[in-house]
Amino acid sequence: MMRRLRRTLAIYGSVASMTPKTFLAYSIWVWVEFFLQIMAMIIFVYFWRAVYAGGGALNGLSLRQTLNYILLAQIILPLAQTRAVFRFGFIIREGQLIIELLRPLDFQAAEYADSIARLGLYLLLKLPLVVIAWLFFGLQLPANPAVWGAFAVALVLGHAVLFFFDWAYACLAFYTTETWGLSVVREGVAAFFSGALVPLAFMPGWLQGVANALPFAQGLYVPISILSGIAPLSDVPRLWLVQIIWLVSMLAASRLIFRVAVRTVTVQGG
Amino acid sequence: MIRYLSLYREFLIQRFKILMEYRVNFIIGSTSTIFVQAAGLLTIWVVMRQIPSLNGWSFDEVLMIYGLVTLAKSINHMFADNLWTIGWYYVRSGGFDRFLVRPIDPLFHLLADRFCHDGIGNFLVGAALVVKSSVSLGLVWTPLKVLYLVSAVLSGGAIFMALNLITATSAFWLMESIPVTQVIFNTHEFAKYPLSIYHKGISLILTWLIPYGFASFYPASYLLGRDVGAMAWLGPVVAAMLLAISYRVWLVGLRHYSGTGS
Repeated sequence: MMRRLRRTLAIYGSVASMTPKTFLAYSIWVWVEFFLQIMAMIIFVYFWRAVYAGGGALNGLSLRQTLNYILLAQIILPLAQTRAVFRFGFIIREGQLIIELLRPLDFQAAEYADSIARLGLYLLLKLPLVVIAWLFFGLQLPANPAVWGAFAVALVLGHAVLFFFDWAYACLAFYTTETWGLSVVREGVAAFFSGALVPLAFMPGWLQGVANALPFAQGLYVPISILSGIAPLSDVPRLWLVQIIWLVSMLAASRLIFRVAVRTVTVQGG
Repeated sequence: MIRYLSLYREFLIQRFKILMEYRVNFIIGSTSTIFVQAAGLLTIWVVMRQIPSLNGWSFDEVLMIYGLVTLAKSINHMFADNLWTIGWYYVRSGGFDRFLVRPIDPLFHLLADRFCHDGIGNFLVGAALVVKSSVSLGLVWTPLKVLYLVSAVLSGGAIFMALNLITATSAFWLMESIPVTQVIFNTHEFAKYPLSIYHKGISLILTWLIPYGFASFYPASYLLGRDVGAMAWLGPVVAAMLLAISYRVWLVGLRHYSGTGS
């Protein structure tokens, strides 16, 4: 039993260790994303300063709190973007799907290993961005290690929720074979309802309802409101529990949908 | 000129035949950008619902700025989207050679090769915003103002195209131009809000260096009856100059092009 577990971990571990290598090969994109994120931060800082020009608090949030939240959300935002849609489109087009399914390891688990390695790598790569936000835009980070721990757990849980949601969503590519449009729709909906552009507290009740009915806030709003101090530590267990419920249901749904969708696929003779 | 126009029509007809082969993709593609625009617009609405104005600009006035830049962007998206793909699709594959041996201008060929339906959604959103804004604000559209609007949108579109052309030319050296294009292109995000909310340096850059301000803030100011002086009329001049510069840059790049030998 232990040996099997260790073997399994070793296999998926080596899948995950491939991820940094592919990243390094495309370092220009890392730089592009870096510039774009700094640009987005500058826009948001000026936008929110103008919003708060009248002074005081809005929806119980001060300018400082809102900016703290928005800066962190902007750093994390690319994590909430989908990869599965493009990946599925690619493996269908290139006929690679067959190979992935023939491998003696679980396709979804292997992709998850890749995805979680991406998460870790991403956080490392974004450290300079955090420093810049701290130096120039007045980002404040919590001193309490418990907050960091709560954030880390919420981030990993939320990341998994989005991973399994995207897995199910990307199955649409089996039917449409169009991927650009699918990813754009997903990105537009996620950008707003994840809370990346505006804290959920600003939204009117009915929009907050929609945001809570969609999985995107689990991956961004929840961890970021813990880290930025909008959500107090006492609230954390409840937030985790909601995330776990999302996680379990998304995991089940994604496996079921994939099993049904994969039957319809016609692999192009690549 | 007339020959090129009729040629463009031929290219367009062929392109639509291809697009109509994949109808679902066509519909998803042309409407999907609406979702991204909706995200940005909902954000502005959600925030501005709670404050009287953004630096003295009401919600509907901000929509005019946002609408103009979206229209300008959609012109570029529909008619010049191929500038994005020149590196990986044409230069690296050697496919660009095809353009050089034909008896028409290679730049024209590149642009005409692919009308991009994905821009239609942006165009609709932009038009809807300008209409919504002017109805809510009770703007009176004299023929002169309509003409001004059309010229502002076309100038804005030209500014987008010229900047993309300059950055896309880097493909002749780097084989890949999207990173450079993306960074410059994204600065148009600044132009979705009144330039007056930014630091002076930023609005100077967006006026004289990467002049997206002429695609949104200055024409919107004029249409809304705000005084921005000569800036209201400089848009077409800036666009024409930038187009001329970008075409020179393109020609230099073209001379440098030596094919990939594949």
